[in-house]
Amino acid sequence: MRVATTARRRDIQVAYLLLAPTLLLLLTALAYPVGWEVWTSLTDLSPLKDGPTAFVGLENYRRFLADPEFWRAATVTVVYAAVTSVAKLSLGVGFALLLARPFRGRALVFLAIFLPWAYPASVSVIGWYWTLNPPIPTAYSVFMGNVKYAVDGVLGGGAWAFLSVTLFNIWRGSSFIGVFLLAGINAVPPELFECAVLESKSAWRRFWLVTVPLLKPFLALAVFLSLTTAFADLANVWMLTAGRIVYPVVGTHAYWLAIRGGQFGPASALSLTLVPFLLAVLLILFRMFDPPEKERA
Amino acid sequence: MNPRPWWRKLGHGSLLLVATVYCVFPIYFMLVQSLKTAEEDVFGNPLIVVNPTFENFEELFERKGEARGFVGSVLRRNYPVLEWLENTIVVFAGSATVTLVASILAAYALGRLRPPGFRWWRRAIFATYVIPHTILFVPLYQVIIRLHLDDNLLALLLVYPTLALPFCVWILSAYFQQFPREVEESALVEGASRVTAFVRIILPMSRSVIVAAGIFTVGTIASDFTLASVFLLDAHNQTIPAGLGTMDVALDELLAVAGINLMAIPVVLICAVFARGYVRGLTAAMVEGA
Repeated sequence: MRVATTARRRDIQVAYLLLAPTLLLLLTALAYPVGWEVWTSLTDLSPLKDGPTAFVGLENYRRFLADPEFWRAATVTVVYAAVTSVAKLSLGVGFALLLARPFRGRALVFLAIFLPWAYPASVSVIGWYWTLNPPIPTAYSVFMGNVKYAVDGVLGGGAWAFLSVTLFNIWRGSSFIGVFLLAGINAVPPELFECAVLESKSAWRRFWLVTVPLLKPFLALAVFLSLTTAFADLANVWMLTAGRIVYPVVGTHAYWLAIRGGQFGPASALSLTLVPFLLAVLLILFRMFDPPEKERA
Repeated sequence: MNPRPWWRKLGHGSLLLVATVYCVFPIYFMLVQSLKTAEEDVFGNPLIVVNPTFENFEELFERKGEARGFVGSVLRRNYPVLEWLENTIVVFAGSATVTLVASILAAYALGRLRPPGFRWWRRAIFATYVIPHTILFVPLYQVIIRLHLDDNLLALLLVYPTLALPFCVWILSAYFQQFPREVEESALVEGASRVTAFVRIILPMSRSVIVAAGIFTVGTIASDFTLASVFLLDAHNQTIPAGLGTMDVALDELLAVAGINLMAIPVVLICAVFARGYVRGLTAAMVEGA
C-alpha cells in the first residue's frame, strides 16, 4: 500500500519529529556508552596501565572462555535468574489468581501485594540488608546471626548473603508480576474463564489449558522484565552483601574487574556476554506478546 | 454459582493472609524499627514498638543534644537531609515529566502516525532493556562530563528516563493505536487541528494508561541506587538513596531506617493512591494486544 500523498509525507515527518526526544535520550544515555563498551571490550584499556591502549581483538572474550571463574559466575547467574524468575512467576500468578475474583477486603489485599514493588527498592534494599545482617547489637541481631550461621554452616560461607539477595529479588519481583498479571487477567473476557469451568472440572487442568494460554502474552512480557532485572541485578547483590561477594554473578564480576581491578577491557567483554542471550530471549518472546499477524486497519 | 464449601473459603482466606503477611512484613518491620528509641532497639521486642517516637526522624533533620561520649562526638556526622529531600523531589518529578512527555510523543508517532517500519521502531526501543547497566556508568560518566553535568541533578534527568521510557512507549503506543481513525477524524473534519484533536480527545481518553506509565516510571526511578550514587558526589547534591548510601550503618542504623521511611512513605502513598488506576491502565493497554 503506497499512498505517497503530501499529507502522508507530512505525517511521517511529524512522526520523526515526535520520536526525536525519545531517540535523543536513548542515544546519549545508551548508544554512546554501549558503543564504548563494545570498543573497549576489544582493547586492553585500563586506567592503571601506562602506555597506549592496545587493540587486542577477541582476546578478552577468549580469555573468559578459558577462565573457570567466569564459568562459575555464569553458572551462578543462570541459576539465579532461573530460580528467581520461576519463583517470581509462580508467586505472581498465585497473587493474580487470588485477586482475580471479588471478595471482601480485596482492595486491602491488593494494596498489600502492590507494596513490595511500590516501596522504593533503592532504600528497601538497605533495610533488608540491616535486617538480615544486623550491624550492632539490636534486639534481633542474635536471632539473625543464628540463622546466618545455620545457613552458612549447611551451604558454605556466603550462602546467607546470596540467599538474602534471592529473597529480596523474589519479594519485590513477585509483587510487580502479580499486579501485572492481574491487569492481564482483567483484560481477558470473563466469559472465557466461565466456559472453562463448564468444560473441565479439574482446576489444575483448567489452569494449564485455559489460564496460561490466555495469559501468554503477559507472562512473556513478565518473564522478559524479570530476566533483565535478574541479570542486571548488580546493585542489589552489591548492597545486600556489602561488597563481600562470595557468589559472583556476571554483573558483579564485571563490576569487580572494572572498578577494583581497573581492567575495563575484560569487564566490558564480560558484561556484554549477556546481551546476545537476552536479545535471543527477547526475539522469541516478541512472537508471544507482539505477534506480527495483528495488523489493524 | 453454588456456594463454596467452608474449607475452600478457609483455604482462600488463609492464602490471602499468608500473601499479605509475606508482602507487608518487611515493610512493617522497617517502619517499626524507625519508630524506636535506641534503648528499645537493643532491649525491646523486635517485632513491636512499645513507645513509638519520631526522634529518629527529627534527628535526621537536625542533630541535637549532646553526642554520646567521645566516640560519638568524633564520629557523628551531620547529614543535609533537607537538601536530599529537595533533590529527590526535583529529580523524581523532573524525570517522570521528561519520561511521560517523551514517551507520549513517541507513542503518538508510532501508534497513530505510523512512520514506515513503526513496528520495528517500537521493538527496537523496547529492546534497549537487554543492555545491562552493570558497568555502563563508566562510559556514561564520560558523556555526563562532556555535557558538563557531573555532580549535577540534571545528569539524572538525562539518565533516569531511559530506565522507564521503553516500557512506557510500549504500552502507550499499544493503546494509542487501537483508537479507530474516526475518533480523530471527526474532530479534524470539524476544523480542529491535529494537536487540538490529540489534546482534547486522545489524551483524556488515555488517562488511565498515562497514569500506569507514570506509576511505572516512579517505581522504576525510585528503585535506582547505583546511578544516583555514582553521579552525585557532593553531599548537598545527593538524593535520599545516594545519601543514605554514605551513612555509616553501624553507627546510624536507626537514623538510616528513618531515612528509608522518609523516602519510602511518600512514594508508597503516591503509588497507593494511583494503584487502581495503574492496574486499569495496564489492562487498557493490554486488551489491544500488548
